[in-house]
Amino acid sequence: MNRDAEAALLVGATVIASLGVGLVNLAQGGTFDAQVALTFFVFAAAFGALHVALRRWAPAASPYLLPLGSVLAAIGFVEVYRIDPHFAGLQRWWLLIAAGLATLLLALFRNTGVAPLRRYRYMFLAAAVGLLMLPMLPTSWGFPVRGVIVNGSRLWTTFTLGPLRLNFQPGEIAKLALVVFLASYLAERQPALAESRKIGKVTVPEPRHLIPVAIASIAAFGLLVSQRDLGASLLLFAVFVTMLYAATERTAYLAVGSSMFLAGTAAAAFTFSHVARRFEAWLRPFADPADTGYQILQSLFALGSGSLSGSGLGVGTPDRIPAAWTDFIFSAVGEELGLAGSVAVIAMYALLVAVGVGIALRSRDLFRKLLAFGLAFTLGLQSFLIIAGVTRLLPLTGITLPFMSYGGSSLVANFLILALLARISHEERT
Amino acid sequence: MNGPIRRIAGFLFIAFGLLLLNVTYIQAIATSKYRDNPLNPRVAASISGKERGLIITADGTVVARSIADPDDPSRFTREYPEGSVYAPIVGYSSLLFGDEGLERVYADDLRSRRDLTLSDVINALMGRDLRPKSLELTIDNDLQQTAFDAMGDNTGAVVAIDPTTGAVLAMVSTPSYDPEVMLAPNATELRNALLDDPEEPLANRAVSRTYPPGSTFKVLVASSAVENGIAGPTTTFDDPLEFPLPGSTSTIRNYDRGPCGDGTTVTLSEAFRKSCNTIFATLGLQVGAQSLYDTAVSFSFDEPMRFDLPTQQSFFPDPSDLDGPALAQSSIGERDVRATPLGMALVAAAIANDGNLMQPYLVSRIVDATGETVSQVTPEIRTTAVSAATATIISQMMEEVVASGTGTRATVPNVRVAGKTGTSDASSGSPAVWFIGFAPVDDPTIAIAVVVLNGGEDATGGSVAAPIAGQILGHWLQP
Repeated sequence: MNRDAEAALLVGATVIASLGVGLVNLAQGGTFDAQVALTFFVFAAAFGALHVALRRWAPAASPYLLPLGSVLAAIGFVEVYRIDPHFAGLQRWWLLIAAGLATLLLALFRNTGVAPLRRYRYMFLAAAVGLLMLPMLPTSWGFPVRGVIVNGSRLWTTFTLGPLRLNFQPGEIAKLALVVFLASYLAERQPALAESRKIGKVTVPEPRHLIPVAIASIAAFGLLVSQRDLGASLLLFAVFVTMLYAATERTAYLAVGSSMFLAGTAAAAFTFSHVARRFEAWLRPFADPADTGYQILQSLFALGSGSLSGSGLGVGTPDRIPAAWTDFIFSAVGEELGLAGSVAVIAMYALLVAVGVGIALRSRDLFRKLLAFGLAFTLGLQSFLIIAGVTRLLPLTGITLPFMSYGGSSLVANFLILALLARISHEERT
Repeated sequence: MNGPIRRIAGFLFIAFGLLLLNVTYIQAIATSKYRDNPLNPRVAASISGKERGLIITADGTVVARSIADPDDPSRFTREYPEGSVYAPIVGYSSLLFGDEGLERVYADDLRSRRDLTLSDVINALMGRDLRPKSLELTIDNDLQQTAFDAMGDNTGAVVAIDPTTGAVLAMVSTPSYDPEVMLAPNATELRNALLDDPEEPLANRAVSRTYPPGSTFKVLVASSAVENGIAGPTTTFDDPLEFPLPGSTSTIRNYDRGPCGDGTTVTLSEAFRKSCNTIFATLGLQVGAQSLYDTAVSFSFDEPMRFDLPTQQSFFPDPSDLDGPALAQSSIGERDVRATPLGMALVAAAIANDGNLMQPYLVSRIVDATGETVSQVTPEIRTTAVSAATATIISQMMEEVVASGTGTRATVPNVRVAGKTGTSDASSGSPAVWFIGFAPVDDPTIAIAVVVLNGGEDATGGSVAAPIAGQILGHWLQP
């Protein structure tokens, strides 16, 4: 694999996106139209720019990252287009913006590498906390930035400027900032955190180092309470605990962290009706098929109807799944592309994680290693949680499927992850 | 610290492995649990599907149409406005069970071609019309409804044909079913109930079942005798009380257990009018197995029936299988002789049409979305069953059956009706009782076969089938 092969694969993804749009048109009685050409040019521009940026500023970067991301984005885009062409039109803009920001990031780090990120770690912490607080803003007040309640969860923020109204999920960007902060903080404090003390025959971490874990647990629980959604808090807390574990090699952090989170979740399930309903829907979806179980059943019906080879693009009825263009995009793909499509998508996420983890394993610098690991883990865990949610392996949580779901904040965050991983892999080979 | 990273990555890969197992379970193993669940909106939508063409009768009554879903104009619900009256002919189109009836046979014409198969894409790019085509039937809706009503609660079938063209004017099979149950949310359950029903409501008895034709088969025996110069209407026969089967102690008797006439001699014409088994057993032996077989074949027995619906063959045994007793019993339409109602309607139609048996058809025209005729049936002679002279003689004898014989209850005032009754030998339960005939005798416009299967032990063609035929003929000839 080299940059030329990468270019060829990116052309492939561009063709998949535009031909997919054409197929959807045909299936719905239309024909190849401007949408096909527009999709081709947008994908060509977005991934072409990133590819050229890699050639110029990170020529030794792993060539696997962009093709995987682009094919996932192509499949997701076609399905979003199939469900609602209006969202697809917006998604094309978001693709350009996300690719533009990722290109910009590669340009900024062309000489320095990712090292500057390390220096401003508390800025990132502040950004993460600030972003996470945004959805808790009042839903109607004078300030143009307001919280929004979607499906009972407070994950969204709206920004209004005259006629322009922009909804975004700050959590998507916050998780990125948090990973950067954690990588930097842990790289700095690693020796101290790894200290241990023997109590009797058991080796435990220094109790004072457990304080940050406790704080993070409380923060995650606070997040869960305020946003009333398991997904974001579980994701952030898991990223925190695993990075701590990776840095210190102390299994105790994992054990303490996960038991605290489980206890918190159980408490939430008993205390908050919204969380309880998610559990109820997970355990007994058929108990109340028209209400509690509705979402998950529609998802399962779509997947089951898709069967082995799927209904074909544009021929199924994924529009019957609620939120099919965001959280449930996987079910929509599963219906129209069948088990073949589902397996391909899951395999690509697994490959992406493998590439990311490989970069982390090869990193010689502690910060870059932790950063690469944190980014790959975030990507992998988020993909797993939402796919597990819509396939009823785990209770459903309100998070997006990286690269595939409709949504600007999600696309931007995940393209930045790709750019950072690419930059880190470049630095290990030069 | 690569150790923990590897371990965490390992956990993630196990998690992805679980995802793969889970989607495999949902999409490959437990598929039907979700796909066919009544709560799945796709089950209701499977009812609806792509647009299909119209099916209309000769007089413009719509019997199948596609209605666009108000929420999604690209999806259509199939409707059968005339319900069970046409179900045995039209059938249904279901994503769950596939297509039946004309919906199945003409699926390629009726369905929209916009299905994204490679050939459809090529056709679309070449600018061909992919819209569904419509079928125009030969059925006359008034006559069809009359025949359906006339059958009432009877189990059986009616086939009416235009003897000069072979166009099927009415085709009824009862009991029938409402095709829209195949499209209901609980279609599987409703269909299973229909499948388990011993009355076989899903069968089209007019074409897909055969029954012993009984005495209606005497039309063929008389035709064979006249055609081969063995007997004429005035030929006299001894009139015994019973006909001893050769080489056996059993006998053939008449329906009333008495002689045919006064017990001395009787003409063929009188024996035909009274449907005397003794005389026809004798006549059958005189005609011989080979000649009778040849006549049966010329009336389309033992021949694959080309038709718009899957059709059973009427059956007459091979001459080599016919010894004396078998030939005698076969000559009164018993033993192994079997006929479809369509087959017997064709026998009557051939006599009505100067001995020419017309190729039967149900779909007269296929029309494309712009109203252009894509194909149209031209009536053709299938076989010449008997000569015109023979047909005239048989026609006269059949007219006497309705005028003063076993078929008087098929009479239509002021119309000359020709016919023949039949009652199969039922060892237990109801016999198959028949009436076949045509009218008006001098210029026939309709030939008919009626069979009733549940008339009771004492039912005869004359008492049960003839009145039904009379009602239908009356409606056609005296609207």
